[in-house]
Amino acid sequence: MPPKRATELSAGIARPTKRKEPPQSSANNQKSGPNGRDKRVKLNFQDARSILTQSADTALSNGELDLQSFLKSREFEIKALENGMQKAKKSLTTRAFQEVPRDLRRRTASHNVKRVPKRLENRAKREMREDNTPTVNPSKRKPGSSRGRLRAETAKRLGILAAKKRDIKGKEVDVTAISTREARPKLRRNLLNDPPKPKSKFRKRQIHKTWLPTHMWHAKRAKMTEPKNPLWRFSIPITCTEKSYRPTHRATGARGAVAWDMSYMSTISLEGTFESLEKVLKAVGVTDQGIWEKKGDKWRSGSRSWCGWLSREVKDQRLQIAPATIIWRAQSCEETNDPPKRKPIRHLFIRSHPSAFLETWNELLRLSKLQRPSVHVQDLRFEIGSIEITGPGSTEALLGILHPYQLPQRGIEPHGEVFKSLAGITNAASLPPNSLLGFSIADPRLRYPPRTVVVPKPTDEEANFALLQTLSAWPADASTTPSALFDRDLRFKATRFPSQKSINRRKAQADPGCYPQILPTDQPIPIMLLTSRMTPTASAQGTWTVLAPWKCILPVWYGLVHYPLSSGGNPRFGGLDEMRQIHFEHSVPWFPRDFPGTSAGFAWETDGRLRRKADWDRRPKGKRTAWDSLDLGGGRKGEIGYGWACDFERLLLPSPSADVEQSAADITQTTQKSSNEQAPSQQVPIQHFTAKAFTSLLSSTTAELPRPSTVATVCITLTSRGVAEPCARIYHIPGLQPTTQCSDNKKISSKSIREQWLPLIPSATKSKPPPNSKSKTAKEFKSKRTPLNTPMPQRIRLLAQSLLQNPPLPYPANKDDGHPLVPDEEDLIGFVTTGEFNLAEGKGVAIGTVLVAKAVEGLRRENKAEIRGGRWCVVRNAGEKVGRLGRWDPV
Amino acid sequence: MVRLKNRYLLVNILYPGLDNKNVDNKNVDPKIPDVVVFNQPTTDSLTTHALVKGIKTEVSNLFGDHGAGAIAESIVVKYLSPATSTFILRVSRAQYRLVWAALSFMTILPIKNGKSCVFRVVRVSGTIRKAEEEAIQRARQLILKARREMAEQGDSTLDNMFGKADYGGDSMKDTLMVDREDSDEEDEDLSDGD
Repeated sequence: MPPKRATELSAGIARPTKRKEPPQSSANNQKSGPNGRDKRVKLNFQDARSILTQSADTALSNGELDLQSFLKSREFEIKALENGMQKAKKSLTTRAFQEVPRDLRRRTASHNVKRVPKRLENRAKREMREDNTPTVNPSKRKPGSSRGRLRAETAKRLGILAAKKRDIKGKEVDVTAISTREARPKLRRNLLNDPPKPKSKFRKRQIHKTWLPTHMWHAKRAKMTEPKNPLWRFSIPITCTEKSYRPTHRATGARGAVAWDMSYMSTISLEGTFESLEKVLKAVGVTDQGIWEKKGDKWRSGSRSWCGWLSREVKDQRLQIAPATIIWRAQSCEETNDPPKRKPIRHLFIRSHPSAFLETWNELLRLSKLQRPSVHVQDLRFEIGSIEITGPGSTEALLGILHPYQLPQRGIEPHGEVFKSLAGITNAASLPPNSLLGFSIADPRLRYPPRTVVVPKPTDEEANFALLQTLSAWPADASTTPSALFDRDLRFKATRFPSQKSINRRKAQADPGCYPQILPTDQPIPIMLLTSRMTPTASAQGTWTVLAPWKCILPVWYGLVHYPLSSGGNPRFGGLDEMRQIHFEHSVPWFPRDFPGTSAGFAWETDGRLRRKADWDRRPKGKRTAWDSLDLGGGRKGEIGYGWACDFERLLLPSPSADVEQSAADITQTTQKSSNEQAPSQQVPIQHFTAKAFTSLLSSTTAELPRPSTVATVCITLTSRGVAEPCARIYHIPGLQPTTQCSDNKKISSKSIREQWLPLIPSATKSKPPPNSKSKTAKEFKSKRTPLNTPMPQRIRLLAQSLLQNPPLPYPANKDDGHPLVPDEEDLIGFVTTGEFNLAEGKGVAIGTVLVAKAVEGLRRENKAEIRGGRWCVVRNAGEKVGRLGRWDPV
Repeated sequence: MVRLKNRYLLVNILYPGLDNKNVDNKNVDPKIPDVVVFNQPTTDSLTTHALVKGIKTEVSNLFGDHGAGAIAESIVVKYLSPATSTFILRVSRAQYRLVWAALSFMTILPIKNGKSCVFRVVRVSGTIRKAEEEAIQRARQLILKARREMAEQGDSTLDNMFGKADYGGDSMKDTLMVDREDSDEEDEDLSDGD
């Protein structure tokens, strides 16, 4: 029942209360927490959320309505509400560990204050005390297992030992007062280099692998390779812990930069006379057209690098090893001008991938021993590290970190001068292709934290013109000072850093806002900057590579990842996955994954097989793909080869489709056998065929086909929807002639399959292709569409007719749902090695490997008009029956 | 985790003085502008308890036990300012219409000898912040309006001579009444456009 109406006049005016109330807080009717600590927390919380209010008296003057008090009360309300909003915002119920940046969050931070950054530790401690969070107590932590107990005991004993040692050392210093510096590490000729000896604290963790110089930094922010399972004997970051797929795509294309610590790339140095070196290089496949003539002058003089494939000759057959970069040491003026008594010794670096290092090394060693005068080979794996950086902000970030070494009243090296004039470049590919800059930089720690460099505005005509002039004239070619990076002594000197303490002192003594002066005692750090392009055109983002002594990578890296870009944010960092992603987005294959024809690539594929097989095995039977009961349509049953593998061995079998109907037991047995076999032998059944050779083979109609086991890498763009996954099968469109084999159990001839696929090929006139044959019904519907000028009654009648005519959808749904049948196994030409949705293309793209002979044969017998000139293929994911039409191109 | 979805109703208590106009007018100083009378303060005896109780009673009158039970759990007065006759209610999103309807049907203050009044829901929002912002804006406009009316009264002799000048007071009124769109809100965002 509603309360009774007021009849009295005075009801509207507040009655005087017994006691004068202070401005009360609204919502004071809420139940407050009953007990102890909770109550305090809740009180705080309530305090923050309540809004001050006034009683009715304040809005009246002596019980009468009054304008002034009315206004005052409103003003008070405004203030109170604003204040309340402020308070509520401040006391948002976030805990300390929630405020940590995303890449520094730790799962355990919610109950261990040591896992939050130092600045938040006190706050976290207080919060945990206040709400009684159970937290870890190191003194009460018990070793869980007997092994843990052993470890704890050992650690304790080691601690005692270390303390004793410290004591003894402290006494000895008084006695001898002489301390010797560590000796320069030896670099032996023609022998493999030892990894740097880690500190004893970390030595046990690096027995079977080596840490990158930035390992500590990466291990906190990235998913690393498993400790027991290092990659190429390195502990390598795989991917960032935070979500990074789309941010990486943006940072490389639109805004920002992505950096990688690529110190795992191996460098080999060759020393010898020019003629011997030329012979060695020619023997490893550096035989590009014109490279040893006039065209390669700049490369041989050391102002350009060369990127290409190394190969070796085995039994009249060239086996590709790995892509590599070759850099010559420039000859200084004196060296070239002096009339040589002896032939001058030249020096060059070969950088290649660690997965192919041993192969390269052995080949180079073998070849170098054949030369007279001999060539010396040095392994510089742990001597020279590198950083790669790409993206529009990469040049700017490098400019902000790498400051050419300049003593007061001295000049900068010419290459450093050129580098400093590059401000404003947003794409490393706009530099001359394969250009390189070699100069020395000052210790980046002197200028830490880095500040944003001043980049000329894009509208500044003068600066743009100057930049264009620099890029076209490229003054770096004029100077031929050899890079100090080739000098072993200078490399070693650069790694003898001043202590962080002394740098801090110098920074403190410097004027406010200024960087400390460079002293003659500061050693210059020799670096080399290389530019490279993924695609031959300059439109795609280029990549900078910084080569520096191994131990100098860390300070450079710290500067780089903390550099504030002018477009906002810092450069991102990437792992192997990001590297692969960038290559994929440019539709460029990535070594070693996309080159199973090389031994490194095949090792990767074998690894992948085992991993995918283990994944498959781990799943319960009902939830994994049943390979042997896969229905490919037309009476064909079972996956071709192993579903978890790019099964090139099966592809090369002389009589395929003989054992299509295998039982599950058969499959597992054979896999066990094959995996046992694969592990020791590592025999690569296929050979890589370079893209250049493949393109020339495709362009001629009569050229001789290579042996059947050669494979080439192709990029497949799907015409319709769908995404190809790794291990997907690639078929060409079946030929006209019906095959004689196993025609008895085949219900559908290859001719009919061909007829199903041909109409899907889009015409050359860029009209949108029908996504699949489902659209046939759509076409029929379209033809029946009522014309626009039909009168209304007729329109209604037509509509009713069409509704009645269309039969309802059949149930159960039609099994072959309109997808054309996939071709037979004899049309299988290869496998997809990388495939996913390509953010750059906006559709499914795949990088695959096909047998050259089969692909070219299929293409040659095709009628050009019928297939509309394209190189078409059908891609079917492993374990699926739907094939998708794609167009392949050699890459 | 399940997120509790609420609605915050910003409500003004208005005193149009319909029933006892003659009595009211006698008591009120003629100099006081109408806006002030209209938005006069509410007595302090309207506590949050009384308010919630009144709303619950009204809901049970209108919607029976079902309605009363539905809102009983969720209804909370987040802010009640007697001086400015404004309050903010929190209701669960599913039931806020029941409360709104009850408020619309209430014609007197839910206290003993309650004055006749109108509860006007001026804003429904998903966060209390938006309700507060709206309250601030309305308070500002009221201040302006009261000042203007005061000024008009001062000029009334002139107005008598030359006829009433149009100050755009109506337009001010329009802005007060107009429905406000608010893109921040996830769901409906309604106000009482009388």
